[in-house]
Order: sequence, then C-alpha cells, then structure tokens
Amino acid sequence: MSERLGWSFRGAVGASIPFICALIGVIVSNIPVSLFGTLVPPPMFGLMPIYFWCLVRPDLMPPFAVFIIGVLQDLLGGGAAGVWTLSFVAAYAIVDRERDSFAGLAGVGAILGFGAAMLVAGASAYFITAIYYWHMPPVAPIMVEIAVSVIFYIPVALILGVIHRRLVGPLRGDF
Amino acid sequence: MPNGSMRYTRGRGNAQLPLAIVAVLAVVLVLVGKAQSSLFDRARASFTDWTRPALEWVSAPFDTVSAWFDGIGDIFVVYQENQRLKLENARLRQWQSAALLLDERLKRYQLLLNAVPDPAINARTARVIGRASHPFLDTMILDAGKEQGIKPGQAVVDARGMIGRIFLSGQRTSWVLLLTDLNSRIPVSIHPGNIQAIMAGDNTPTPTLETLATTTPPKAGDQVVTSGDGGLIPPGIPVGVLVASGHGLRVALLADAAASQDVRIVDFKLPPEQPPAPSPNDLPATAAGLKPEPPAPPPEVQEPQGPAAQTPATTATPKPVTPTPAHAAPKAPQPGADDEDDTQD
Repeated sequence: MSERLGWSFRGAVGASIPFICALIGVIVSNIPVSLFGTLVPPPMFGLMPIYFWCLVRPDLMPPFAVFIIGVLQDLLGGGAAGVWTLSFVAAYAIVDRERDSFAGLAGVGAILGFGAAMLVAGASAYFITAIYYWHMPPVAPIMVEIAVSVIFYIPVALILGVIHRRLVGPLRGDF
Repeated sequence: MPNGSMRYTRGRGNAQLPLAIVAVLAVVLVLVGKAQSSLFDRARASFTDWTRPALEWVSAPFDTVSAWFDGIGDIFVVYQENQRLKLENARLRQWQSAALLLDERLKRYQLLLNAVPDPAINARTARVIGRASHPFLDTMILDAGKEQGIKPGQAVVDARGMIGRIFLSGQRTSWVLLLTDLNSRIPVSIHPGNIQAIMAGDNTPTPTLETLATTTPPKAGDQVVTSGDGGLIPPGIPVGVLVASGHGLRVALLADAAASQDVRIVDFKLPPEQPPAPSPNDLPATAAGLKPEPPAPPPEVQEPQGPAAQTPATTATPKPVTPTPAHAAPKAPQPGADDEDDTQD
C-alpha cells in the first residue's frame, strides 16, 4: 500500500541517513573530550554532511534539516544560541546557490570547495558573535577551526561517499 | 571525494522558500537567545545532566591517554625535574615558615584594629568530566550541580589558582566559564601596588587587563589575584603573573585548565556589611550636652511558652545607659591584652 503511495520504509531510512550522519557529526564534534587538550578545536563535523549532500543529493538535505542540525550544534556547543544555526544556513544558502560550480569540483578542488563553505560558516559565526557580545573576538581560533575542519574533511568525505553509495543509494532505490 | 560524480540536479527554485523561512527562523533564534538565554541554558543543562554517565564513561579513557601522552615527554627529564622539585620544596618550606609567621602577625593586627574578619569560605570538590574549546567558548563540565549546592557565579580553583567560574548549573552537572573565554571578566588586583583591574579573556591562553585604575603602570612579573570586588569571588585567590606581550601586558595563568582533573568550587557568601551600632555618645542629645531621656519601658509581652523562648525576652530588657564624657579618651590597648581580646572576639 505504502509502495503504491510512493512511500517505502527503506526509502525513508535511506533519506534520513544524511540527516543522521550530520547529527552524529555534531555530537562527535561536541563531545567535551579532547585528545589534544584544548589547543586544537574539534572539527566541524556537522557541516561536512550538509555540504556533501547539499551537492550530491540536495533533496536529502533540506533547509529544515540544516536548521535542526544547527540548533543541535548550538545546544551542545555551549555558545550563544542561534549562532551556528544561522551560520550553517548561510553556508547552505551559498553552496546551494553556487551548486553548479561546487558540484563540478573534484579532488583538491572539492576540499577547497568545503573550505569555502566552512569559511562562509566561520565568518558568519564570527560576525554574529561579534554583534551578539558587541565585542570583536580574536580571529585566530576561528581560522584554526576552519583549517582543522578542512583537513578532517578529507577522510570524512571518503566515508560519506561510501555511505552514500552503499547505504543511501540502495535503500532509496533511485541511485 | 568527487563532488560531481554523484551529481543530482534539482530545481533551485524549490529550495528558495524553505531556505528563506529557515533563515528567518535562525535570525529569530539568535534574537530569542539573546533576550531569553535562560531557555537555552536550561535545555543545555538538562541535556548535560542526562548525558552525564556517558560523558564520564567516554572521558575516562581519553583522560588516561592524554595523561599518558603528557607523561611521555616527562620520562626524559625525570632526573632534572627531581632536582628542580627538591630545590623548590626547600624554598617553599622557607616560605611556609614565613607565611605562618606573617599569618599570625596579621591576625594580631586584625584584632588590634578590630577589623572585620574574612568571611568563611566553603569549597566543594568536583571532577572534570568534559572539556570543550570552541572558537567562541572555552569551557569544562563538572560532575557536581545544584544537588551539591553549586550555583552560577561561584569560583572554580585548582591547586595552583583560579580556573574560571560556574556559568550554568544543572542538577548534577555544571559548566565552567574558563578565565580564557571570550566572555570572562573578573575583578583582579595586581601586587605590589594593589592596582585594581578587570581581567578579560579573549580565547587566547593569556587574558588581557582592562580598566586599569591607576597612574602607576604595572610591570611584567607582578602577581595577579582576585580582588573580591562585587562580593561574588573571594579576594586573594591566585590568578597569574603579568607577562609582556607586544606593547602591553597579559596574564599568564597559574592554573592549567587543560590538565586539571579535580577542582574546587568555592562557595563564597559575603555577608552584607553592617554599620556599627551607635553608642550613646553618637546620639544627638548626648553630643549636645543634654541628658538623654531614660528609655521607655518595654511593652507588656505575654509570657512565652517554653524555656527557649524566654531567653530573648530577658536579653531584650533595656538597661539605663550612663553617658560618658565626649572628651574621654578611648582605652588604649595594653601590651599583653591580646589574650583578652581573643576571648572577646
């Protein structure tokens, strides 16, 4: 019956995997444990699935999913409310708008593409925080955050690619 | 990581309206968060309480590995470190003797001056179950909350000095705003000179000094302690040492928040300062040379029930006051009268 209505359980599971990946990324980013002490900030794992599926299958990463991921990032991160939510939405908007340019990238270009998205998110967060507290925060920590996130995107993108090919595609059945 | 190999085409216009709605919602969230931060804080505290067992479980191996990594470097300098610690120990013993002597002397001076004694400070020990260093937030999570009497604003110290203060407390966990955090502002005092300032974090390891209220500039090497202004943080907690940085000074913190495992949360209850009770000499009639009227008899009070309730009525009975001459010299403290003062105080 549900198949005839155009809905299947497998398809729904497949469609929710990108969102779940992003939620897991946010949780991993915000586990308050660091092997490197407090010298290196945790990578922004939550933004990686957003960027990846915004290019690959934007229908699986809708704006409302990005909003919820951002809210969770703000909730777990401990910072000011809404800062990363708005930053993720801003990055999503830019990537979605320039999707044709970003989607054509491969290899190092894809990493730089994520770097651009991360730069948009970081810059947005920086300026929102500056307005929020009416005080210019130092630039170095957010630059380190961007750099660490870009470096970690390399292995994460490979993992996301595998997840997309092995899980999302077969479950959706339209890959 | 090919972006284009799995490219999917979607009409961009489909996403424009939801994106606009989400953007508006995000802006509203920022504004609501600014206006009503307690809503978000409560949710955050509840979530941390809920995940506390998991945090403890996850952080234990990480702490072990982190300590192991820290220890690797120490292996190669064990001998030098041992020699250095022996010297430091000997020097600290000398300082301990001097400090005990000075402490005794300070107490005697306080008695002589009838100074207000320092308020009692309680402290609770808590374990660090999480640390987070984000671009705009430096924090740690402790395994003690409201159930243990932890409240926002209380100072958090380790064996070396102040680490930060509680900014959010759940039922069984609490969040610490580190001194290095962007939002950290505490009143400090710089010694020597007792220069008052505000120490402000900027997400760097060495906070800055703001609002230096002096014409005598401090110099590198001066000690920074909490000043206690505002009555929230106890005075005299060691914070750090001034170091030169560029054209200004920064504070190198004594405490190492990244290495602290167990911390103490200082419960500082500064009692409101009470003005001294007026003596008969302070009364206008006495000061004018007039004989003060005898106090009115107390109103008839019904006999209270129970022996405990009788005591206040007895002590509340006023006694006639004999005015003393205004020019009478106060009694000078006599040598050897300290013991008597001790018992009185």
